[in-house]
Amino acid sequence: MEEEYRILENSVKDFNSKYLDNIVLKIEKEGIPEQVRKAMLEQGFLGMVQLLDGNKVMDKKALSIIIEVLSTSSPSVAMEVFLTNVLFHKLADEQSINEVSQGIKRGTVAFAELMSGYDNENELHMESEKLIGTKKYVLNSDADLIIASATDGNLYIIKSGFKEIETHRKLGFRGLKFGKVEFNTKDYVKIGTKEDLVKAYEEAHPFITALAIGIAEGSLMKAIEYSKVRSAFGNLLKDFQPIAFPISMQYNELSMLKNSLYLALSNESETADILFLKMKSIELAKEITKNSIQVHGGYGYIEDYGVEKFYRDIMSLSVLLYNEEEEKKKLASKLYETEAGYI
Amino acid sequence: MDFEMDEEMISAINKAKEFAEKYFTEELADKMDREEQFPMELLNYSNREGLMDYSNPWKILVTIEELCRKDPGLGISTTVPAFGSEVLMLYGSDMLKEKYLDPVLKGQKIMGLAVTEPGGGSDVASSKTEAKLEGDYYILNGAKMFITNGGIADYFVVLARTSPPPSPDKRHRGMSVFIVESKWEGFKANKIHGKMGVRATNTAELVFENVRVPKENLVGEEGKGFYYIMTFFNISRIYVAAQGLGVAQGILDRLMEHIKKYGPVNSQGEPIENIQFKLAEIATRIEASRGLTYKAASYLFKFNPNPVLTSMAKYYSGETAILASKVAMEIMGLKALNSELERFYRDARILEIWEGTSEIEKLIISRMMLKGGK
Ligand SMILES: Cc1cc2nc3c(=O)[nH]c(=O)nc-3n(C[C@H](O)[C@H](O)[C@H](O)COP(=O)(O)OP(=O)(O)OC[C@H]3O[C@@H](n4cnc5c(N)ncnc54)[C@H](O)[C@@H]3O)c2cc1C
Repeated sequence: MEEEYRILENSVKDFNSKYLDNIVLKIEKEGIPEQVRKAMLEQGFLGMVQLLDGNKVMDKKALSIIIEVLSTSSPSVAMEVFLTNVLFHKLADEQSINEVSQGIKRGTVAFAELMSGYDNENELHMESEKLIGTKKYVLNSDADLIIASATDGNLYIIKSGFKEIETHRKLGFRGLKFGKVEFNTKDYVKIGTKEDLVKAYEEAHPFITALAIGIAEGSLMKAIEYSKVRSAFGNLLKDFQPIAFPISMQYNELSMLKNSLYLALSNESETADILFLKMKSIELAKEITKNSIQVHGGYGYIEDYGVEKFYRDIMSLSVLLYNEEEEKKKLASKLYETEAGYI
Repeated sequence: MDFEMDEEMISAINKAKEFAEKYFTEELADKMDREEQFPMELLNYSNREGLMDYSNPWKILVTIEELCRKDPGLGISTTVPAFGSEVLMLYGSDMLKEKYLDPVLKGQKIMGLAVTEPGGGSDVASSKTEAKLEGDYYILNGAKMFITNGGIADYFVVLARTSPPPSPDKRHRGMSVFIVESKWEGFKANKIHGKMGVRATNTAELVFENVRVPKENLVGEEGKGFYYIMTFFNISRIYVAAQGLGVAQGILDRLMEHIKKYGPVNSQGEPIENIQFKLAEIATRIEASRGLTYKAASYLFKFNPNPVLTSMAKYYSGETAILASKVAMEIMGLKALNSELERFYRDARILEIWEGTSEIEKLIISRMMLKGGK
């Protein structure tokens, strides 16, 4: 990794230890506190602002490092950064981007319709110039600005005239609100079409990979640390093969994926490569988070140890940001250079 | 060889099904999960309707399976109030049985089993809790961790060291089992909050500070406690395997329903093959777990336990339930995320941890096999 990215990585790690590590449980229960949000703004985590040196605009690799490192500590905070930078800023109008970057408002994107299992009885639609209806499964459903598509195929940024009417169960990302939002408003701006939303999602794959890698890493580090200090039958856990072997394999697999991601981001790799990295990262993260709980024994099952949350978060991430059937179909079709894997 | 169930088992299954249908409402399951509350009222209903017939272990097994199928947290809570009672059944004096076992089996009192300590659960012989004989009492000091029913039980089966191990490789010697009442002075239970799943079950840390345990509350012989507990695990693991079966089956039920309703289907209107394969794999694993569990149970219930099969059943059914929960979440996507499946996913994860982790079960399997055991 180049020096400038190494510095960035360390500064995000410092951010974690200063602002997040001690309050991750509190974030899970009460949401992201104001002072953390302020610090995120100051660091530029909520706006595509100068980050690396004086004038350089945040690049993809830098953003992926930020998301990944935040995710090792608080996947909820990382998800907020992801939603804001990767989806919202990509789609929003300039005024909204400025407001969100400066912390005046919070923005989110309703993207769940792109995922499997989306169901909604009263989808957002246009009626006498008003946007009426609902959006389900909205992360950050208490945001001030929501980007959402309507049945007319257009994408809108909606600035007022909506409220959360139902809170969904929260398997993961408990630091963020997650619910159904009802709209009845004329306060919107058309910013594109649903195709733009699809495109934003497709371009988000590297950052979804970063989220998954961070979750895996946060969880794996806990397992490594625990196995160095906990003993059973007179030996440290790390000395048992069924503990040390999977952990070290997972560590190396994760490092490979991480390096591949950075490489892919530096080389502007093909979408299919990134898609594959995303799948592998999510699958590996599921394996790692499951095993990390196991290494902790009973303590792994208790929130205080901060390891079970990763197991919940990765499954939420998988449901919310990974359309397995569709994405595997894409890989197969690319290989065969024709439609494949649809039966 | 006959794989058919007898009338009694079938009627126990039906009874459990009806019970779960009637009392395990989604509102209750969700509330107990959110608030981490033990559903005490379910015990009253269970007693009233004679749900747990301890005279027939097969009926207990299928009842656990059926209730966990409807909801793991409520299912386990309803079937766990006599946890540890088998130790008394097998080794308790008549006096202890009359005083402690009878009210537990009648549903009047709740029991728990306290083996795990903060310093270790897998390594049972490393227990630090001590009981020193002083006159007519053992003085109990120490702490136990993650004890199911810890905050609600009246009596506990407690493993404690009564004499130092004769040598480092004989650490399992010198341990004894006692019945301890939660109302005794020096006993304290601190509820453990924040479990990922099975949040309707009550879990606590127990602290014993100079608790005076009457001599007659020693179960069986002094120094044999480790063996009693290992024998107990050979029984309880069958029931945990049944929990795994129930949880996995419950997930499969919901997954099938989902696929029938929502597909996704290919152009011939059939569910796409990737999903069919996953479904087949889960269903096969469940059936294999059931075969293992029932086979292990058939040995145990004829008083001829087979620890190899028991450990196979316990770890395999737990692993299957966890895998099923993962696959179901992946296939059902958003629909699962905002449904009871999300709870099943969290609940299932305990099954490879309690009553012996999967690693410990695998070690038992290999060691017993290599020693020529069955
Ligand atoms: C909700 C809940 C309820 C519980 N209820 C009860 C109860 O009612 N009564 C009770 O006594 N206990 C209870 N337990 C405790 C449970 O049985 C223990 O958590 C479990 O046995 C593991 O012990 P531990 O947590 O100390 O993990 P450890 O023993 O510290 O193990 C940590 C990890 O190391 C692994 N490991 C240990 N030794 C080896 C080895 N030799 N080779 C390879 N891997 C190894 C383990 O498999 C595990 O993955 C409960 C636990 C929970 C979470």
